Amino acid sequence: MNLDQALQTYIEESRALLADMEAHLLRLEREPAEPDTLNALFRAAHTIKGSAGLFGLDPIVSFTHGVENLLDCLRAGEMLLSGEIVELLLRARDHMSLLIATVAEAGEAAGADLRAQGDALERALRETLGGDVAGGVPAQAPDPVIASGGGQIDGDVWQISLAFGGEVLRNGLDPISFIRHLATIGEIVAFSTHCPDMPPLAEMDPESCYLACEIGLKTGADKRAIEDVFDFMRDDCELHIMPPASLLPASLERITHARGPEDRVGDILVEAEVVTAREVDAALARQEAAGAGEARPALGEVLIHQGDAPKAAVDAALAKQREIREHKVAEARFIRVHADKLDALINLVGELVIAGASAALIARRANDAALVEASSVVSRLVEEIRDNALTLRMVEIGETFNRFHRVVRDVARELGKDIALEIRGAETELDKTVVEKIADPLTHLVRNAMDHGIEPAETRIARGKPARGTVLLSAHHDSGSIVIEVQDDGGGLNRERILRKAVERGLVAPSATLSDPEVFNLIFEPGFSTAEQVTNLSGRGVGMDVVRRNIEALRGSVEIASREGTGTTIRIRLPLTLAIIDGFLTRVGAASFVIPLDMVLECLELTAQSTAAARGRAYIDLRGEVLPFIRLREHFQQDGDAARRENVVVVHCAGRKAGLVVDELLGEHQTVIKPLGKLFQNIQGISGSTILGSGEVALILDVPSLLQRTISQEASALAALTDGAR
Amino acid sequence: MAKTVLVVDDSASLRQVVSIALKGAGYDVLEASDGKDALSKLAGQQRVHLIISDVNMPNMDGIALVKAVKQLAQYKFTPIIMLTTESQEEKKREGQAAGAKAWVVKPFQPAQMLAAVSKLLPA
Repeated sequence: MNLDQALQTYIEESRALLADMEAHLLRLEREPAEPDTLNALFRAAHTIKGSAGLFGLDPIVSFTHGVENLLDCLRAGEMLLSGEIVELLLRARDHMSLLIATVAEAGEAAGADLRAQGDALERALRETLGGDVAGGVPAQAPDPVIASGGGQIDGDVWQISLAFGGEVLRNGLDPISFIRHLATIGEIVAFSTHCPDMPPLAEMDPESCYLACEIGLKTGADKRAIEDVFDFMRDDCELHIMPPASLLPASLERITHARGPEDRVGDILVEAEVVTAREVDAALARQEAAGAGEARPALGEVLIHQGDAPKAAVDAALAKQREIREHKVAEARFIRVHADKLDALINLVGELVIAGASAALIARRANDAALVEASSVVSRLVEEIRDNALTLRMVEIGETFNRFHRVVRDVARELGKDIALEIRGAETELDKTVVEKIADPLTHLVRNAMDHGIEPAETRIARGKPARGTVLLSAHHDSGSIVIEVQDDGGGLNRERILRKAVERGLVAPSATLSDPEVFNLIFEPGFSTAEQVTNLSGRGVGMDVVRRNIEALRGSVEIASREGTGTTIRIRLPLTLAIIDGFLTRVGAASFVIPLDMVLECLELTAQSTAAARGRAYIDLRGEVLPFIRLREHFQQDGDAARRENVVVVHCAGRKAGLVVDELLGEHQTVIKPLGKLFQNIQGISGSTILGSGEVALILDVPSLLQRTISQEASALAALTDGAR
Repeated sequence: MAKTVLVVDDSASLRQVVSIALKGAGYDVLEASDGKDALSKLAGQQRVHLIISDVNMPNMDGIALVKAVKQLAQYKFTPIIMLTTESQEEKKREGQAAGAKAWVVKPFQPAQMLAAVSKLLPA
């Protein structure tokens, strides 16, 4: 692993942490007094900062440091959380995200304007902190040092509390000589004595020592060196050494980046040189003495209580401990794989499917039973490999959905509306490529729902609705596709206004009679906008037509349902995967067509009888149901006469059914989807192509659009018929 | 006035090395070859501020010396550094019980000895 790869890992890790931070901040806004959330936030900021240091990304280190300070104060309860602080932290988080993005793009941190922006935020962070934490004396630091010693206690000072044992003098140990020796390894900046155990004069033993003292020491030495000074008194005194606040960040860093296998808090702290082994032993002994069960304090608590370790360090060690333990569990279950590797695998599997089909075909032609048998086993395995490979790319949509907490919050704030986001079906899985591409259209739809859909609070109350509007994002699977809905409980679409606008724009004839869905779908037409006031949200030039185009580019479709006064639902239907599907292969004349198998309901013969019964009209009686159909031969204007025996493939999509008439049914076919060239992009009813085992090209039918066409054709034919009859 | 250290060991070379180091650091040094010799030095004119003593010595060993020193009114509170080897845990416990809290493990560097002395008796 070289440094570049490590940097990539850092970038990915940071992005994940930033996403966590955002989620935590949003949670804080709802339930502010949650210490776990604050701790998690602090840890995330801390980890980002710590690793940035390793890569020499100083702008990230210094900026994140400010964030961390603020979080630390909040966490320690030195400051109260407010909406402004959360807002500031969110902005800081965004800035960190930008800094990381800069690193990802350029490999280095921050340009000039980014830095200016960062400086402004840093100032804001510092101002928020105010004078509250000047110097950063740990909260547990005993007061007497400052009071009687008179020395300036600042961030670099070690706090040593020392209580001499009664036997010290008798053992030939002179307290003052240890203090003098201490002065040789550093500068004693504060010193105060106190005698908590001193008996009345009459009872005093002149040979016993009753002395205790608090010492402030400025030194570059480490804790072990300081402890070493008191080595000979070890058994005769009570000694606690609290590292200076200025060393805390470094200690925390060491804790966070500890690589050791230790998962015990004491070991982690010793490893990070926060406490010494002696202190841990002493604390363990005390813990032991406290008894078992409920009364038994945690080691970390004992250390904090004794003044050996600052709370922040113990917290960090506890976090590390959790991380190590979780890591041990998670390590076995997940591995990180670069998406490119998966894409390459899927491509290869696609090629394998085609090659396998070709081999199977040759085997059948050779009429060799053993070969056919062998190739059918291979085919089955290839199919399994295909399914497994595809599930590797499936990710839960929840990750994408969760981003919308932030979008909804920000937009709601901008609009001055109170809007809640509800998420359902976050665990629904779909192809990673689709997930990535759906985020932008979804953002637009959600913004739209909030801006145009949900009414101002007064209007809502007047209409008898709760003042707080709700946007619902949901996802579920439905026959080989995933359905994503953006639903709002707002005012709904205004049919009249849309129609009026459409007529104004010349999109429909004034005399046209349109159904509700047809009217609503007009808003997806290019250049259509009914917003009477263009707000800065909707006026961003990305129209609903772009949304539709994006979705169609994913072989998906979008439709709208709306009821005036109660809300609007926009339903996006997307294929589960863009790579390989189970297809149903059919033949019309010389051409092969593939129908996605998930959409096929049944196949039946189109008998002369049934067509005759329809008296030249394009529908058949499917067990008492009217089933409109379309002849693919006619639709694609193929030459040649119809086959003697025609078949109907009954397909369904979005709750509607229709029949597709083909010459021959060839059965299931594993279909590797290849995109159509530019030349064919505008052909109605075709969504892609695939290569058959024989090397021939087959076209994949776009069932939703064919369905739409079949149904509307039959409806207009019917209308013409009734008009004629009138 | 320089502080005086009494170095008690049956090895003359050890006494020399230690005394050179101590003198270099500004201490006055008295030498004794065993416990008995040490007690006679303590009874002499020069006031001793710290005693460094080996454990194993002929005539009177270190532990007995510590016990004897603790009986002397004048030297009751004088710090004592004992020299020991790693394997002498038993002796160490015995010595600590007798009141010798400072121990330096042999073999040691002169600097280590100086550090130990300066903890108990800054020059």
